[in-house]
This record gives sequence, C-alpha cells and structure tokens, in this order.
Amino acid sequence: MSDRSESDRLKQEGWLGRTLRRPEIGSFIVMVVIIVALAMASEGKAFNALGLKNNVAIISQLGIIATGAALLMIAGEFDLSIGPMIAFAGMSIAIMMKWGLPFGLGEATPFLAFLITLCMTLAFGWLIGNIIVRSGLSSFIVTLAFWFFLRGLTEVCFRLINQNTNVSGLPDYKETSWFAEQMGGEVFGWFYDAWFWIGTKVGAGLEFTADMSRDAKIDLITQLGFLNINRKMEQWVTGFDARLLWFIIIAGVAWFVLNRTQLGNWIYATGDNQDSARANGVPVDQVKIGLFMFSAFCATIFATCQVFDTNSSDAAKGMFKELEAIAIAVVGGILMTGGFGTILGVIFGAVTFGLVANAVFFIPWIDGSWFRVFVGTVLLAAVFANERIRKRITGGI
Amino acid sequence: MAEPYLSVRGLVKRFGPFTALAGVDLDVYPGEVHALLGDNGAGKSTLIKTLAGVHQPTEGQILIEGKPTEFRSPRDASAAGIGTVYQDLALNQLLSVTRNFFMGRELISPLGTMRTKEMNEIAHNEMLKIGIDFSDPTQAVGTMSGGQRQTLAIARAIYFGAKVLILDEPTSALGQKQQMGVLKTIKRVRQRGDIAIIFITHNEIHSRLVGDRFTFLALGKVIGAGASEEISDTEMRRLMSGGAEMGDLKQELASI
Repeated sequence: MSDRSESDRLKQEGWLGRTLRRPEIGSFIVMVVIIVALAMASEGKAFNALGLKNNVAIISQLGIIATGAALLMIAGEFDLSIGPMIAFAGMSIAIMMKWGLPFGLGEATPFLAFLITLCMTLAFGWLIGNIIVRSGLSSFIVTLAFWFFLRGLTEVCFRLINQNTNVSGLPDYKETSWFAEQMGGEVFGWFYDAWFWIGTKVGAGLEFTADMSRDAKIDLITQLGFLNINRKMEQWVTGFDARLLWFIIIAGVAWFVLNRTQLGNWIYATGDNQDSARANGVPVDQVKIGLFMFSAFCATIFATCQVFDTNSSDAAKGMFKELEAIAIAVVGGILMTGGFGTILGVIFGAVTFGLVANAVFFIPWIDGSWFRVFVGTVLLAAVFANERIRKRITGGI
Repeated sequence: MAEPYLSVRGLVKRFGPFTALAGVDLDVYPGEVHALLGDNGAGKSTLIKTLAGVHQPTEGQILIEGKPTEFRSPRDASAAGIGTVYQDLALNQLLSVTRNFFMGRELISPLGTMRTKEMNEIAHNEMLKIGIDFSDPTQAVGTMSGGQRQTLAIARAIYFGAKVLILDEPTSALGQKQQMGVLKTIKRVRQRGDIAIIFITHNEIHSRLVGDRFTFLALGKVIGAGASEEISDTEMRRLMSGGAEMGDLKQELASI
C-alpha cells in the first residue's frame, strides 16, 4: 500500500515507551515521591496501622468526589456545586435523623433518609444539567450559581428546622442500622487482622542475643514498630473506614464504564468535540445531564459517609471540596478541555492529595497551610504537563 | 442507464428573506462520482446540508430510489443511506481510530460492554479496503494525516450503510500527495459500483480526474450540468466562475 509509510511514521514503541506516554504517568510519579517523602519525614508514622487508616479515609473521601468530577470533566463540563451539594445532603440526612421525615411521616431510618436525600440531590443534578445543555451557558457560571444557591439553602433549612446551623450528638446508628454501618462503619477488618497477626509472629521471632544492651533491644523493636507488634500496647485499629469500599466501587464502576462500555465512548466523544459526537448520533445532552447527576450522587455518598461516621453535620461541610475535586482530576491527567483522561490517574491524584492534606498530623513541625501551597504548585505543573500531552496527541504546534 | 439512487426536484431553501437554493435539480447514480461545483456562496453547503437532513427544504422534493422522502433529522438521512463526510470530518482527535469509527454506533455485547477486539478488526479492515493499511487502530486520530482522516471518515460512512456518499471538499486543506490519496480512495469507492458519490470541490483538476457527471451551482441555481465528456474544459472554467466568460473577467481585471 502506498499510504503504508505515512501511517507508520508514528514510531512503534516498546513497553517502556508506552508506559511513559500514558496519561497518568505524571500523577503516578508525583504520588510515589509524596509517599516516600512522607514516610521519611514522619519516620514511618504516616503508614503505621493508625496512620494508614487515617490516610486512606481522606484519600477515599477525596477520591469519591474526584471521580464524579473527573467523569464530568472528561465530558467537557465541570461542577462547582459539589461542596454545597455535600453540605446540603449532610444537612438533609442529619435533620431527618433528628427531626423525623418531612410532612410528619414519622421516624426516619438511615436508609430512608439517604434515599430521600439522594432523590433531592439527583434532582438538583438533573436540573443543573438541563439548564446547561438547554441554555448552552458555560457550566462554570451555572454551577457557580448553584454553589451560592445550595450553600444558602442549606443554611436556611438548618435555621428553619433546627434553629441552629449544626446537628450534633446524634445516636450512633451504626450499632442499629446495617446501612449506617456500611456508610460510616469499617471495612476490610481482615487486613488489620492479618497485619497484626504477622506482627505478632515477627515479634515472637525476634532474636535478642544475650549480649544486646537494653537500648539495642528497644531499637530493634522500634524498627519493626510500623508492624505494631503489640497491638494492644500501641493502638487498636480494627479496619478501614467504609468510605474505602465506596471509593473502590465508584472508581471501579467509572473505570469499567469509560473503558469497556458504549457509554464510556460517548463520554469521551462528548468531551472531545461535541458537534462531531452529535453528528454521529451520540446523545450528547443526555450524557451530560447523566454525569451532572452522577457528580451529585458522589457528593451524596461523601455526605452520607460523613454523617454516619461522625453522627453530626453542619452547614460548613464540604467547604472547598469542589475545588479539591477538580484539582485532583487535573493532577490526575484529565484535560480541562475534556475528551481525555483516565480513572487510574484520578486515583493517583487522590492518593497524593490525601497524603499531603493529612501530612500535618504526622509531621508536627510542618505548618498545615503548606498543603495549599503544595496544591497550587502541583496543579500548575499538572496543567502544563497536560497541555503538552494534548498537543502531542492532536499533533498541535 | 440505471435508475438514480437519489434525485432532487425543484429544491428551494429559504432562510427568512434569504433564498439559499432557488430550485435545484440533481440526479445521483450508483457507481458514479457526481462532482458538485460552484463558487463560495453558490449554495453547495446548503444543498448538502439539506440532503443530510440538517435543513428541511422549503419547497421541492428529495427522492430515494424514486420515492419521495422527507428527512426530519440527520438520523433520518443516514437511515436512508446518505452518508455525509463534512469538511471537519466529525472526528474526535483525542480518541482512538476505533472509538471514532464506531462513535455513537458501538458494537456491544449482551452484557452492554463494547466488543473492543472485534471493533478494532473491523476498523482496520474497512480502512484497508479503501486503501489505508493502518497498523494500530488504537492510536489517536490526532496522530493521523489529513488524508488518512478523510479515509477514516469515508470508511466509516460506507461501513454504516451509506448508499450516497457526500464528500464536502475532501481535498481542500491537504498537501498534493494527500490529495491524490483521497482521489484514489474516491476511485476505489466508485469501483464498488453500488455507491453514489457526491464530490464537492473548488478544484477543476480534481473534479476532472474523478468526476463522471457535473453540476454547477451559482447563486442557488443550477447553471450547468452534464456528463464529463459533454462538458469542455473552457465551458467548465466558465461555469466554475459562476457563468462569467473568461474574456469578461480578463477585461474587468484589466480595467482596474
């Protein structure tokens, strides 16, 4: 074929070359650097039993909303109303649990409160999506409007029903409700069981030679300290927050949809060039509306986990979360212009952000506000990197 | 002569007070390249958009195999076998060749997943049939040359059952060699014998090279039509400049 030479001008690369060109490679490298740096600066404390649990909790929390934000950004839109949606959902569930179902329908169960709240948040997502696709306005403006609208609505509802902008001291529903346990409880207890079992075995096998000083013995134990040799002495950790399971489910579904289904192709096509997608029969508007609803769903899961974990809620919940979700998506290699990005990158981004946000607890001498300085820097670097990727793919100059 | 697959009779399209098409007749036969020529603003774009179902005609008829047909949307037109390859090609640069090929019409298994492997094979084979051996259908369209993108868009239209292929200036904005590649592709499609091609162009040489039949538009009207051998080069040049005589143009230019 005469055109063969032309098509094969693209160099065939080996495994390494392909890996280095993957969109999530940048976020992967940043993540590894952060993990190593944090482990060293915190002297391993960040990844001991309790440290890991706390880190995973915040990683999962951020990852849940970042996945929703990422899918929407791949489809070329974005959502500033995630944070207020979290506050609204948290308010709705907490108030129903405290004051009962609306219209005097009686006591609320955790599941019922969640279901009614989800209906409302999905309706908001649907409304936002419809306004955007029908008016053709930028999603920035429309969701900014909903940022104010939902923040205000949350406070108004709190004051009207509760006379106070926070609900605290709810009973621990995890003990009575299976659903509350699934949202705010713990999962993967076997992981820590195994961890401590190994720790006990290793501890038992420690060889203290007769000529070892007392300090040398303590040193040896401390070196293995992250294994928490004596579970009862150090801390008692029984499992990860249930959020981890939700993060795995949501990210897993998002990955599957993007890579293996027709809907995934529609999402990419919508974000890349919606006119050509439409010309080829992709239901662009429905895809967008659906993704705004998915983003609202992720915010609701975030809020539900939070409420049943802490047995409280207040009007300031979810502050800045929309910006963090977008930042994670961008650091994870999602293009602001849409049409490109992977869920794996978002997971790496969430791990990076979660670790840095939590770093202050493990490194006492660090000022917590360095978190934002770091985020700003990494975000800018990520945008430049993503722009290069886009140009390389589109052959732009 | 076989029956025309697509006929247009007295097509009028007005946008408010503006008449874009003022009664156009057109017959397109399978296995033929019908070159549609005309200056900017002649109504070529409106005509093809009407055939593609984007616009609805104000008056007149579109006949498919002799039967009057109405297109309410691009979907109707493509169901009737009209495949349009626009200038911008309706391709997504960041997506892979396969994802573009099947955009909106993915092959799915009973479980709702995409049959990725099969889709890759089909995309590769369909493009091979009309002249491009594209080794890796998972690479992004952004990495392809303009000519290859044309081929992809054409292969896609044919695979999804186009009986009339409308090519909107497929050779513009391409280098010489790639233009030849696209013309070869057009010839290969023509050879199949079952597909009618409407080839819109500004380029006299290209239309001469592949065109079997010509229609010239100017200001929304057909100012000349005929088979390739019926139209002389001088006549063609006159019609392409909207009906003005070359001599007149020379005089006009000289007077400035």
